[in-house]
Amino acid sequence: MRAAPVTRRPLGRSALIAAGLVSALALAGCQADEPQASDEPVEGGTLVYASGDAEPTCLDPHVGGNYPQALIAGQFLESLVSRDGSGEIVPWLAESWEASDDGLAWEFTLREGVTFTDGTPLDAEAVKVNVEHLQDPATQSSTGYLAMGKVERVEVVDDLTARFVLTTPDSALLESLSQPWTAIQSPAGIARGMEENCEAPIGTGPFVVDEWVKQDRVTLVRNDDYSSPPADAEHDGPAYLEAIEWRFVPDAASRYAALQGGQVDVIDNPQPDTVAAAEESGAFTWLDAPRPGASNRIELNSGQAPFDDERVREAFIRAVQVDEGIDALFFGTAERSYSALSSVEALAYSEPSLFEPDLDRANRLLDEAGWTGRDADGTRLKDGQRLTLRFPVSTNQSIPAEQSLFEQVQATAKEAGFDVVIDLLDLSSWYGRLFVNEYEIVSAPYTKVGPDVLRILYHSDSITPAPSGYFANLAQLSDPEVDALLTEAAAEGDADARAGVYEQAQQRILGGYYLLPLYDQQNGFLLDPSVRGARAMPTVSTPSFHDAWLAD
Amino acid sequence: MSELELRQTTVVSAAEHEAARPARRLPRVGTLLAVAFTAFLAVAAFAPGLVETHPPNAISAAEAFQPPSPAHWFGTDESGRDLYSRVVAGTGTSLLIGVTATFIGLVLGAVLGVLASFGGRVADFGVSRLVEVLFAFPGLLLALLVIVVAGPGPVTATIAVGLSTAPGYARIIRGQLVAIRSAPFVESARVLGHAPRRILVRHILPNALVPLLVLATLGVGQAIVWASALSYLGLGAQPPAAEWGAMLAAGRTYLATAWWMTVFPGLMIVGTTVATTVLGRALTRRDREVR
Amino acid sequence: MTPGSPTESGRRRRSTARHAAVLLGGAVFVMWAVATLTFFAIRLIPGDPAQAILGGPGSQASQEALDLVREEYGLDQPLVVQYLAMLGRLLTGDLGSSYALRMPVAELLADQVGGTLLLAALSLALAWVLALGLSLWSTGRGRIAAAVGEGIELTAAALPHFWLAAVLIAVFATGLGWFPPVATGTPSGLVLPVVTLAVPLAGFLAQVMRESLLDALQQPFVVSAQARGESTAGIRLRHTIRHAALPGISLSGWALGWLLSGAVVVETIFAMPGLGRTLLQAVTLRDIPVVIGVVLFVALVYVVMTVITDLVARIADPRLRQEAAR
Repeated sequence: MRAAPVTRRPLGRSALIAAGLVSALALAGCQADEPQASDEPVEGGTLVYASGDAEPTCLDPHVGGNYPQALIAGQFLESLVSRDGSGEIVPWLAESWEASDDGLAWEFTLREGVTFTDGTPLDAEAVKVNVEHLQDPATQSSTGYLAMGKVERVEVVDDLTARFVLTTPDSALLESLSQPWTAIQSPAGIARGMEENCEAPIGTGPFVVDEWVKQDRVTLVRNDDYSSPPADAEHDGPAYLEAIEWRFVPDAASRYAALQGGQVDVIDNPQPDTVAAAEESGAFTWLDAPRPGASNRIELNSGQAPFDDERVREAFIRAVQVDEGIDALFFGTAERSYSALSSVEALAYSEPSLFEPDLDRANRLLDEAGWTGRDADGTRLKDGQRLTLRFPVSTNQSIPAEQSLFEQVQATAKEAGFDVVIDLLDLSSWYGRLFVNEYEIVSAPYTKVGPDVLRILYHSDSITPAPSGYFANLAQLSDPEVDALLTEAAAEGDADARAGVYEQAQQRILGGYYLLPLYDQQNGFLLDPSVRGARAMPTVSTPSFHDAWLAD
Repeated sequence: MSELELRQTTVVSAAEHEAARPARRLPRVGTLLAVAFTAFLAVAAFAPGLVETHPPNAISAAEAFQPPSPAHWFGTDESGRDLYSRVVAGTGTSLLIGVTATFIGLVLGAVLGVLASFGGRVADFGVSRLVEVLFAFPGLLLALLVIVVAGPGPVTATIAVGLSTAPGYARIIRGQLVAIRSAPFVESARVLGHAPRRILVRHILPNALVPLLVLATLGVGQAIVWASALSYLGLGAQPPAAEWGAMLAAGRTYLATAWWMTVFPGLMIVGTTVATTVLGRALTRRDREVR
Repeated sequence: MTPGSPTESGRRRRSTARHAAVLLGGAVFVMWAVATLTFFAIRLIPGDPAQAILGGPGSQASQEALDLVREEYGLDQPLVVQYLAMLGRLLTGDLGSSYALRMPVAELLADQVGGTLLLAALSLALAWVLALGLSLWSTGRGRIAAAVGEGIELTAAALPHFWLAAVLIAVFATGLGWFPPVATGTPSGLVLPVVTLAVPLAGFLAQVMRESLLDALQQPFVVSAQARGESTAGIRLRHTIRHAALPGISLSGWALGWLLSGAVVVETIFAMPGLGRTLLQAVTLRDIPVVIGVVLFVALVYVVMTVITDLVARIADPRLRQEAAR
């Protein structure tokens, strides 16, 4: 059978984005001159991209596997499959695929005539080498390693056919393979060893890594023999742009100033106030591209007091007010979410009524739960214990607007008698706090294609830390029924049945008041009006410049 | 030579010049202004309620990003909090960081300085080398290193800034003590047969103490500036505490749309540094006149 | 300041050589102490270095991978062995390998040093020019000029770098469009970062210079020059600048350290490659070999500057030589 397409969803916000620049402009309500449909793409030119994400320490996204790596790897590496704007999996390096009836074997037929930029042909052997590379502990892969967790081995059926043999059925296999962290690289490139491969991985993509000047930029040049765009690309053949200069500009204000000064053509991670200003003036194009996977949410640690009591969890969620804050701080660029999943995910289930603020109810619930005393600050007490919530915040992951929102959470929760203690920490210290379980509330992003992210975040298996101390179930949700539903969904081959099980699981997770959804993981790009045809990939919302060109 | 030594030289010689040429005295107006500003700081630090116009942590998202107006003298911040009241409320924390860091540096510097000047040749040699080693870690570098080891936060930042100023103080104090020890009045006390302990307590320490206090007033402003740099790097004070450095760092994000968020906390830092320096000079001058 | 007689010159040369040897010994001691202090301080960091190597705390490294890394980097050895191994490597100029970037630290730093040193040198030069200009203008011209000059100095010295940078970008990049807000390696891209670093430093330097200038203006040679009918401006330029500049020589070591501190912030804002940004990234990632490498390099710069300024001062000022000869 042809891989079951994920449920079709009505053409939503994100679908429009994927349709390309024209719709992106329409979406932004931009006053700039809209390009005519007849506008002929112009060849040549160098596009300057300024990234606010951390500079990767290795350009090979197999190693480790974080978002900054995905951002740039998408320019020179490609995956077996992709996802289109409607959420359906579409062919890329693999032309077609078929799963066995028991779901334990998947055969991928590769596109013919594709070569890596070092001349190595793309064949089944290359796919096998890549999966083995991801699974080798020496690669130090974490995201890709997890994505290949159910793959036992890859068999070479013939030159262009690779068979994935699984240990258990995996309904998320195609979604996993569409991510940049499992992209296919040249076996010869991998064989050079990690140090060299990190400097300049070799793929099949529209651009090639030319030079990486640390702390400064990566220069990407056009792959003139490019022939393998994903099925939903605008055109075949090589990119229009001659080169991309990929610069690292960590300071958001400097980044926007550089765009204003015409020094750069595209910036990522713009501040919400500058997005609003740019949209209003019409000076720049706003490409909104929320990330897939989980929404941005505050997790309530149910593994210990006081949040082991559902009443206290609900009281917190009812006490906190975020709507006005989101409007003011994000200048209308972020929409309130009521789901554990990103709005990009077709299977996202929303339940606004659970998150209706209600201070009276919060106070009543806290009284019922025994938090009846009050100290001089107005913080509630129970058996001499203060109702303190430790909130470690990572300054690397939460932008200033989000940090301000957390201060508002702190202020509104205080009215019900919660004492929220915010600790701004760098990434290492932040993880350190989580390891030793010194938190009651926390916010952590998680990007992954497809609803299987729920299993990673809310299955009780994810409470047990990896040897490195990492664990993803920060709500420490341990509910046998949720576990059973998530396991069932992960193995369910039928699309409709899978959707049904995920909905039940989400209802149960949201209904237990383990999390407070805020908004989608904010992600987007401001483009100079001269940049046409750029789009965000509907997989993990990284930018694609294959179809992009520079108008005069 | 360090920033502190440099400042000390300046202060002392400025006072000398002023004493030599009364016409060049710092305008009294400046000193008066400095006194007035410091008095305001004192009130804001110890009784902020007297000068606040709004509760400093009261959030009102609907009133975010308002420019200065009669209702909000310094405008409002991203959460609609009154910036003037937050600047006032932040005085205590900011000065506490500045004062504590300076105190740590001074005490450490004093211990090292006393050890070097009274502990004999070996101690002097050892301390001098140690001070040299500490000097080889420039300020922010030492602070970052301390943060790597102890984790970020306001306490770490304060200690880090304090530590990085210690070698400067140590050198000055050592120099001062050596100079006083051989001063005529100490020699004569020795000739008169006073006990060493009494000489130390009655003659040497009081004379070393006043310049030290002057030095401290100068260190506070710079300590606040360095602590604010740590806040900008995300390694400083914690919300919702209204600390000037943290406010400045937060406001920088919105410089294009809300200039008042950076300008007013910035003015407080600059004002505090200028005021303490002017007062420090005035103190030195008085000290000299008394002597 | 009598010139030394021929019989004295041999003795003086010997004393200078001995002095240089003492300086060198001190320099080696400082480097050793800095390396040792940093090594043991870093060991106090909570967490597992092997973890940091495997992509930091957010990664989901397996036990197998952790063991592999421990063996590869010798982290399973006793602390003393690791310490001695590090000293041995340092003696041969080997700074080890970056955990995060998987490349030799020496190579990494070699790429970053140039930019930072250029930035620091230009800033130091500009700070000198600004400070000299300000103190020459404001000294000895009466109360108002003095008050204005002092006001400017004090304010400049109290400006936080990140704030000044933001204002400069807003005015000169976004507003007037004269200079790019992000340094691209072109001369015009260096203007704003250099000004950001130079202005606060100039505030400090000007305070020192003013005092030296005041002294110099009262010297007999100035009075005699005035008697000869030279213009005030001429006297200032010809006779007093040298005096104003002298105390600054001994300040250069301190100023350079101060500039390297400022570079952490400035390089981040203006997106320039350099040591400061490298250090900040290494601190965030707990990339220990890089942290040690940067700290050692900065200490080396400080030590070299101290030795040079000491020697220069001895050559420039005969009094110091005689003192040592005694």
